[in-house]
Amino acid sequence: MDRNQLVKWIKAPAKMGHKYSLHVVYFCTGCGIIEIPPSITARWDAERFGVIPVATPRQANLFLITGYVSTKTLKAIIRTYEQMPEPKYTVGFGSCPINGGMYWDSYNTIKKLDKYIPIDGWIAGCMPRPEAVFVAVTHLWTLIDKEMADGYKRYREKYDYYRANQEKVFGEMEWPPLYGKE
Amino acid sequence: MIMEELKSKLEKAFGSAKISSNYSNNLAIELDETQAISMLSYLKNLGYKHLALISCVDWIEDNQFELVYVLSAYMPSDDSYSEKEKLNIIVKTRISREEAKYISIIDIFENAEPYEREIHELFGIHFEGHPRLTPLFLVLKYDKPPFRKDFDTRQFVDDYFGNIPPVE
Repeated sequence: MDRNQLVKWIKAPAKMGHKYSLHVVYFCTGCGIIEIPPSITARWDAERFGVIPVATPRQANLFLITGYVSTKTLKAIIRTYEQMPEPKYTVGFGSCPINGGMYWDSYNTIKKLDKYIPIDGWIAGCMPRPEAVFVAVTHLWTLIDKEMADGYKRYREKYDYYRANQEKVFGEMEWPPLYGKE
Repeated sequence: MIMEELKSKLEKAFGSAKISSNYSNNLAIELDETQAISMLSYLKNLGYKHLALISCVDWIEDNQFELVYVLSAYMPSDDSYSEKEKLNIIVKTRISREEAKYISIIDIFENAEPYEREIHELFGIHFEGHPRLTPLFLVLKYDKPPFRKDFDTRQFVDDYFGNIPPVE
């Protein structure tokens, strides 16, 4: 263990635990998922950074949105995100979730993903290399240290706005609101 | 050569069909909308039993839709690979754009069902005799089918996605 971080471990052990065990939802959103198998297997070995893919969203705390988001996929993304236990972090991977990428004038692709769910960080590029995932993960560590990776808190606070945007796309939603009005 | 044989056979049976071939194993048949269905069943009886795909082209200047059916033959069970299996037959027919209505070919080729559903959703062509022309891919509501040439995607994107406010 790094001796310099000993104070952090004593001050906030839970935070350090979250930081070094990021469990990723293995959710194939678009073409970007092709970068995930080399990242998690022997070549780049994401487990060095404590990143490991898990089977279900209920065990995960990191959500990589890998690639373009069609309207049908957005529904699945919202469902997956709402199932994840807190604290949870989201990273948009590739240029498509940022502003639509090469699908900026498509009739069926969501342009800006942060209008529908909160995003903690973006990885630009088309496609980003697996190294970029690790740069994002190390950057996410700093954000967690400084308590700036607060997407799930923002989702709780501004849930009405997020839900309103989601309902603008889907009309009537099939599931009730996650957070009730207080 | 099997292609010349087939060509002369088809010209004899369907006088009005325009038959051409751009590549060595492609045969393109253009014919009237009243004869396309009988052409497809005729080709099926000749052994071209595999419907590879149905596609649609929007010729907006001519005010017509073009339906494209691609057929080929299955390999025989003794694994011999002859010229017949290499051949792709492309049947094209044009229908009116205002009516946008054609006959379903499910009775001839059963696997036409998802293709016709897709074309119905994206181009708005009604296929008579299709059991379920229900939505297949699209979630959003569009004022006209999105693959038509006069559907302005940029306008739609500006109006629809541009009007959703950012949260932060």
